Amino acid sequence: MGCHGAARMSDLDLRSQATLLKGGKRGAAIVRGNAAASLLVGAVKREGELKMPPGDASLKPSDVALLGDWIDAGAPWPAEAAVSVESSWWSFRMPERPAAPELNEGSRVGNPIDAFILAKLNEHGMRPTEPASRRTFVRRAYFDLHGMPPTPDQVDEFVNDPSSDAYETLIDRLLQSKRYGERWGRYWLDLVRYADTSGFETDHFYTTAWRYRDYVIDSFNRDKPYTTFVQEQIAADEIWSSNMDLEGTLHLPKEKEENVKRRIGTSLFTLGAFPVEYTYYGDLYRTEWRAEAVDTVGAALLGLTLECVRCHDHKSDPFSQRDYYRLSAFFAGSVEREIPLVSLFDTQSNTRSFPLLEQARVLKRMAKRSKAKGEERAELMRKLGEAYLKAPERYATAKVLAHEENVPDTHVLIRGDFKRKGEVVEPGFPAVLNPGPPIEEPEGMAFVPQRRKALALWLTSPDQPLLGRVMVNRIWQNHFGRGLVRTPNDFGRQGQPPTHPELLDWLAVEFAERGWSMKQIHRLIMLSNTYRLSSVGDHKSLEKDPDNLYLSRMNRRRLDADALRDTVLAVAGTLNLRMGGVGVIPPLTREEILAARMPRLWPENPDPAEHTRRSVYLQMKRSLTLPMLQVFDAPDTAKSCARREVSTVAPQALALMNSPFTTQQAEAFALRIRNEARDDPEQFVNGGWRLALGRLPTDTERQKAVEYLKRNSLPQLCLMLFNMSEFLYVD
Amino acid sequence: MSTDATRRDFLRHTGLGLGWLAAVDLLNSSASANGASGLPLNPMAPRTSPLPATAKSVIHLFMQGGPSHVDTFDPKPLLRKLDGQNPPESFGSEIFQNGHFSKQILMASKRTFRRYGESGLKVSDLFPHLAERVDDLAIIQSNFHEGFTHSQGQFLIHNGWPRIGRPSLGSWILYGLGTENQNLPGFVVLLQGGVRSGPEVYGEGFLPAAYQGTSFRSGPSPILNLKPPPGRTPAAQRDFLDTLREMNQSHLEARNRDSELMARLESYELAFRMQMAAPEVSDISGESEATQKLYGLDDPVSADFGGRCLLARRLVERGVRFVQVWSGNGQNSVDWDGHTECDKNHVKRAAETDKAVAGMLTDLKSRGLLDSTLVIWGGEFGRTPTSDGGRGRTGGRDHNPYGFTLWMAGGGVQGGQTIGTTDELGLRAAEYPVHLNDLHASILALLGLDHTKLTYRHSGRDFRLTDVGGTTDLASKLRSA
Repeated sequence: MGCHGAARMSDLDLRSQATLLKGGKRGAAIVRGNAAASLLVGAVKREGELKMPPGDASLKPSDVALLGDWIDAGAPWPAEAAVSVESSWWSFRMPERPAAPELNEGSRVGNPIDAFILAKLNEHGMRPTEPASRRTFVRRAYFDLHGMPPTPDQVDEFVNDPSSDAYETLIDRLLQSKRYGERWGRYWLDLVRYADTSGFETDHFYTTAWRYRDYVIDSFNRDKPYTTFVQEQIAADEIWSSNMDLEGTLHLPKEKEENVKRRIGTSLFTLGAFPVEYTYYGDLYRTEWRAEAVDTVGAALLGLTLECVRCHDHKSDPFSQRDYYRLSAFFAGSVEREIPLVSLFDTQSNTRSFPLLEQARVLKRMAKRSKAKGEERAELMRKLGEAYLKAPERYATAKVLAHEENVPDTHVLIRGDFKRKGEVVEPGFPAVLNPGPPIEEPEGMAFVPQRRKALALWLTSPDQPLLGRVMVNRIWQNHFGRGLVRTPNDFGRQGQPPTHPELLDWLAVEFAERGWSMKQIHRLIMLSNTYRLSSVGDHKSLEKDPDNLYLSRMNRRRLDADALRDTVLAVAGTLNLRMGGVGVIPPLTREEILAARMPRLWPENPDPAEHTRRSVYLQMKRSLTLPMLQVFDAPDTAKSCARREVSTVAPQALALMNSPFTTQQAEAFALRIRNEARDDPEQFVNGGWRLALGRLPTDTERQKAVEYLKRNSLPQLCLMLFNMSEFLYVD
Repeated sequence: MSTDATRRDFLRHTGLGLGWLAAVDLLNSSASANGASGLPLNPMAPRTSPLPATAKSVIHLFMQGGPSHVDTFDPKPLLRKLDGQNPPESFGSEIFQNGHFSKQILMASKRTFRRYGESGLKVSDLFPHLAERVDDLAIIQSNFHEGFTHSQGQFLIHNGWPRIGRPSLGSWILYGLGTENQNLPGFVVLLQGGVRSGPEVYGEGFLPAAYQGTSFRSGPSPILNLKPPPGRTPAAQRDFLDTLREMNQSHLEARNRDSELMARLESYELAFRMQMAAPEVSDISGESEATQKLYGLDDPVSADFGGRCLLARRLVERGVRFVQVWSGNGQNSVDWDGHTECDKNHVKRAAETDKAVAGMLTDLKSRGLLDSTLVIWGGEFGRTPTSDGGRGRTGGRDHNPYGFTLWMAGGGVQGGQTIGTTDELGLRAAEYPVHLNDLHASILALLGLDHTKLTYRHSGRDFRLTDVGGTTDLASKLRSA
């Protein structure tokens, strides 16, 4: 059973009647009612070429006879044993559309989501709280979809919209904005541990990783079907293979250009955290690389933690170490390669004429010879840095996945150690997750590996129970603060079961039926009455359900690091909305840079207008997270981050009150208010409140603020707004 | 809403420090500071260690770059005999960063070793001051691990795992024991400059952010963003906080006094108290001239590291749980990474650190703090007994994680003993090998923590500093004579 159970050697699974009849590579294992013709009987009798079990462990003659009698009798199988133990786990079964509960709730049920939520609330003796005001709702919707607040005009527009479809209009407009892809692309980047450098001592710069970031943002903005998005990232080169011969073409046809863009998705596997030192020892590096690929696919796409299976069979989930290496075999033969994104013609012409880089080289020579010191030298170095940054790339390239000449064997590694090779395994899928047909490997001269393609198609096949569930849960989580499954990267036995299993399945089925459109799921969720609830609960439900498992109210959420920084910039009026391109390096103070191993590896971007780009466009260095983001729980980029931590620590207060970043932005904010309100302190206060909090101050607040302004400057008041709970939390 | 639920929720959200809670007598005994689940409610409240402890706090003197054991605490007479030759075949080979052991040339130490103190332990002439304190030191000569590059080595020594993402030793200890002083961070890092493996090495990994190491500098603004911007007086800062509090208070009242929002308000009060407490601790002007001299502050060569050692004592004195003092800024010429002219490099580093390390031990002892403070000295690995393969014969030594020296003092450690040995060349741990997991398990044991029980659930399993390894036999050896 160890070999032909979950491990499915030779694709044979002896654990159920159906799989016995189906058999393995050699055909059916048994023929009902005919023991003599059954392969299994021949094998255990050791009559022919096939002798099982291998070695000296042959069955006793009495057991062989018993087996023959059972097959002759039609191989009856006890009904309860037909379902294997593993697939009884909820998340490994295919979701089926449950009927929405029939409730007598009238207009409280806006769409089926509400029916599922209300039914559970009723069950637990709770009622939903009141809907949020339009003013609260519009901020919630903007932060949720854009990661930035609405402008005062945008607030007014929605609050005063008399039409019956005001909510629909708002959500649709927000989903069409490019800000949407920046916000939701950022969540995806967290999930796939995106960063621009390798980390560790060398912290090697992945010069084209940003193309993957832009690819992700663009994919979200285009509402690319989720399955396509996944397929591209796993195997665009194998699925849309007409991009493979790109290097030799003079012109780049439209279709190929499109496929090249898809292939940038595979950059996902070229930007993990690796000590570049590993490359000294090829085998070790390849082992780590493949393990990292499997872990990322497991966590981000399947919502499964597979790391432990690298060294031993899973303790709680039905995954064997062999399963792990079979998955890792899909990546055998794949290598990282830098490819041009333009035609051969362009690569040649661009390589010849390269004046800006030449200028930078001249400056470099000057800097080397120059004896200039102090300010003069600093100026020279600044010019040099600027020249390099301005100099275009030789031609556009991306680092993507490609293939080695030969696909190396994949071994099970004993205790995960690359020096201790065990048995050779072929690519294959975990038995409990609908293993699908055997992987056919084409052979011959024109052989193009198709392994990742097989993986991509399996992940996105209609029979894959996890992909859709895991993703709708992520979408839900980022709208409500918590998923229906509160362990978004662990749908296995160690994870928590869903609070609303039927709703989760209903959403997963909707997702698939709506063409895997993420925007449609957002729309569905955000137009439910449940999403519209106030975040202030009544006492009964607070007492009964303090963690708000059953959603009698909205969860109040603190802005994450990126949204907080973007909001400060937006409110101060300094936000630069330029999209895309190589990551920006904003300035650091001397004390902030102290821990960087080599301060010169933080080459500040010379153009100050770039420093106020959205956070998603900042360069992410694994060795040094921007302190302003780090203190507000930015992900560590070591591995998949499914949900940002929310800590409340004193250094956050210090950063918001005292850092050069917030004090400078408070100055800009003050200037903006002054320009709009001349010299009336009351107008200053009104303007500040409207911009920062989307509302006018109350009389008490206005009075206190005006008093404060008599003792302090306007920038101080602006800074205070950045520090208010109302600024930091979304109701 | 029940007050218990509010409090539990509140405490769960609160991060760094909750000294005010004790003040309002919500939680006034360490017993009630632990919830029914055994998890700490206030993450920083001091907790009684579950096992008998001999150390309460830790000062980790981290020699970045990796000091050579055969030039400091582990004399190898055979090296002198075989100087300039290939290693005997009987030693086999190991992978170093810049080549294989068997292909390198053995290189004798230029140092002289002498016996010191009542114990008569041998110390090289690099450390004349520290040698006088040798009866306080337990020198562990047989440490080893698997990481032969700096970042792997540093992550292993500090986090028990060769990659980013795991909590630092100090974070685990803070998680286990909390800290005595609620106005200062419980885990303080005193850097000289850059960190080869990046600041993640003193990060909290997957533990709550409250447990991260806080980098502390000398001078009036020791913590990042501690000082208000120029022009904002302390009175203006108070005015700012008071007005902010009033604004936030009405926001809070309208939201059922939500626990996370309450914690947010308190984090501002703690920030304000830190603004008072942190400059006080880093102001050493009140220390006597004799004390300052003891740490070598009168000599420009040793003043920098000495100042950090003195600050470490002041922090521990005020109840900070874990202090890391770094020697070396992550550049070969300014840390212990002697790839070229290792001897010259070490002479410089020793001159910068010897007096201060010895002085700190003397000072801790005279203040009665050494008994409860565990001092650990060492780098991320040792160095090879051969000349560096990548650099020709330039007197350099490559990294060696297969056998190297660390020493400990104080915190119940019996001084004047050596533990374990390396082989005759100093290549590998020989007698009583101490794996990194054993080292960590034993450090935790000295603090009264069981390394198998100090766990944190993350991504589907319970993680430990020692992963699946580690024994505490070393702790018993350290405690007994």
